Amino acid sequence: MISLEQRIDYLPLNDRPKIIWPNKARLAFWVVPNVEFYDYMPPAKAKRKDRGFDNPVFPSPDIQGNIRRDYGNRVGFWRMVKVLDKYNIRCTVNINLAVLERLPEERSAMIERNWDFCCHGMYNSRSEPKGLALEEQRAFVKECIAVLQRTTGKKLKGCNVLSRATPELPDILAEEGLIYHADYLHDDQPMPIRVKQGRLVSVPYGGEINDSAMTSRNRAWEADDLLEAAKDAFDRLYEEGAENGMVLCLALHPWCSGYPYRIKYLDKILDYIMSHAGVWQTTADDIAEYYLANYHDQAIAYADRLKVVAGNR
Amino acid sequence: MQAQQGMDHDYWDWSPFVVRPVLKWPNDAKLAVCLLVDLGHYEWQPPPEAFDPPSHTPPHSMNPYPDYVTVTFREYGHRVGIFRIMQAFDKRGIKATVPMDAYTADHYPGLIRECQSRGWEIIGHGLTQRQAITSLMSEEQERSYIENSLGALEQATGRRPLGWLGPEHSQSTRTPKILAEFGLRYCCDFPNDEQPYRVLTPSGELYSLPCMIEIGDVMGHFNRKLSMKRWVRMVKETFDVMYEEGADSGLFLEFRLHPWCIGQSYRIRYLEEILAYIKRPDVWIATGSEIVDWYRKQPHAAFRPG
Repeated sequence: MISLEQRIDYLPLNDRPKIIWPNKARLAFWVVPNVEFYDYMPPAKAKRKDRGFDNPVFPSPDIQGNIRRDYGNRVGFWRMVKVLDKYNIRCTVNINLAVLERLPEERSAMIERNWDFCCHGMYNSRSEPKGLALEEQRAFVKECIAVLQRTTGKKLKGCNVLSRATPELPDILAEEGLIYHADYLHDDQPMPIRVKQGRLVSVPYGGEINDSAMTSRNRAWEADDLLEAAKDAFDRLYEEGAENGMVLCLALHPWCSGYPYRIKYLDKILDYIMSHAGVWQTTADDIAEYYLANYHDQAIAYADRLKVVAGNR
Repeated sequence: MQAQQGMDHDYWDWSPFVVRPVLKWPNDAKLAVCLLVDLGHYEWQPPPEAFDPPSHTPPHSMNPYPDYVTVTFREYGHRVGIFRIMQAFDKRGIKATVPMDAYTADHYPGLIRECQSRGWEIIGHGLTQRQAITSLMSEEQERSYIENSLGALEQATGRRPLGWLGPEHSQSTRTPKILAEFGLRYCCDFPNDEQPYRVLTPSGELYSLPCMIEIGDVMGHFNRKLSMKRWVRMVKETFDVMYEEGADSGLFLEFRLHPWCIGQSYRIRYLEEILAYIKRPDVWIATGSEIVDWYRKQPHAAFRPG
């Protein structure tokens, strides 16, 4: 098994090939609503145990934890969609695939808008693929591919499961035909991920430019803080992007931003970013495709050369 | 293994907001508001067999036994804070809905009288705040837990309560069914909507009056450490959006206030500010029962999507 250090190459900001985005955009901007389904009673074996630090976890049914998320599908999603439509945002949905089977109105709303889908596991209350044997992990990924195909007709290209990822997952993703993995927070640009077979791209995910930061008990953040952070991130990346194309990811959750007390701040974030020229508002699928077509191999070759130079020193 | 359509339990339908019929409130109010003023007791040491909610144990809150600080700080609510809240509500003719646990009902008869004289509605809130409901209980244990909670209130108030909020919203898979069997009309546990809805139980009519958890005084300010000014703005912003959207179809806003928190000398003025802001002719501030009595006769309550 390869370690994380072997998966990613050290390509420092001051010594890497430059990226030029389509139409010389300074910034690729992807917006990723996490559309999730939390089990009423997650199966004991698969129940996530990694959520207790910021907020307490109750024995199932976890009303304040899991059932609170039900709000996102019933109410928050619809309020959020109105704002996203106002700016014509084409989203990449971090999708719990069970949503596509269980909640037809939500599925249709996403398909109608031609949004792309990135695998976010089947259920957010379950730890899979973590905890599964290698071949079970592969079966899990295949099942996710099949559900997306069956319910939307789309081909699954990416995966974001964060704390539920396994060491072997990148190899499985590439072998099953996925092209990107959005679990890496190590860069502001796409980067190659080393896999046994084929190619895989890291598309940077919003670790902190993420509305779930506002639900933590350990951080006194509210939506106006996220607005400031998103504007600051945008300003800096936009400036740097004049030289070398950058990526900004805005991570959202209907059960965070869809509340009446947060919605106008989402509107302000999008208003600010979308009022600038030179922004490529796109999906992670398209960022990964473009990177694979133009920069992936160059970055690998460059990284290999740096290793040779370091070896010769 | 293809997942079935809809929810993974039978207590409510999958009901996206956009498919529902219009909800009308009395006098075409845009918004119905239910303010929960909690009178819950935090005991020094819960019995060993009790389920002490993880939100009331380190690292989330409370210190190792004996925790003088937390227990006395909660007691402040019953002694001092509640009277400041009553004054603020009285000034504007607003009635609260009071989740009260059995311990409080048994030991604070003066508080019962004060609530009753104001027409505030007292609802079930468990035995104490450090004894929660969970699926780890047997059905028999849970039934006697709920029966004892309701029985203490009936004994103290002379009336069987009609509403329920579990300590820390705690439930087992059986809870809605048992609540309905015991004749309760509504439950405030579920934080998943901005309109009431019918809870489907085999045993009787039960409605959910959903609670907006994050804007409560404890969750919004005390746990999440937002300043009081920021918290007030958050509540006002909630109100603004729901007031505007409520012109199309009536919305419902319910959140929790804790006398030990908002009733402190340095916080009470922020409650005054919120009450002054939301008291408007086209906003219906009412108790849980008043809202359910109206709601259950509306087509919205009978609507089943799909």
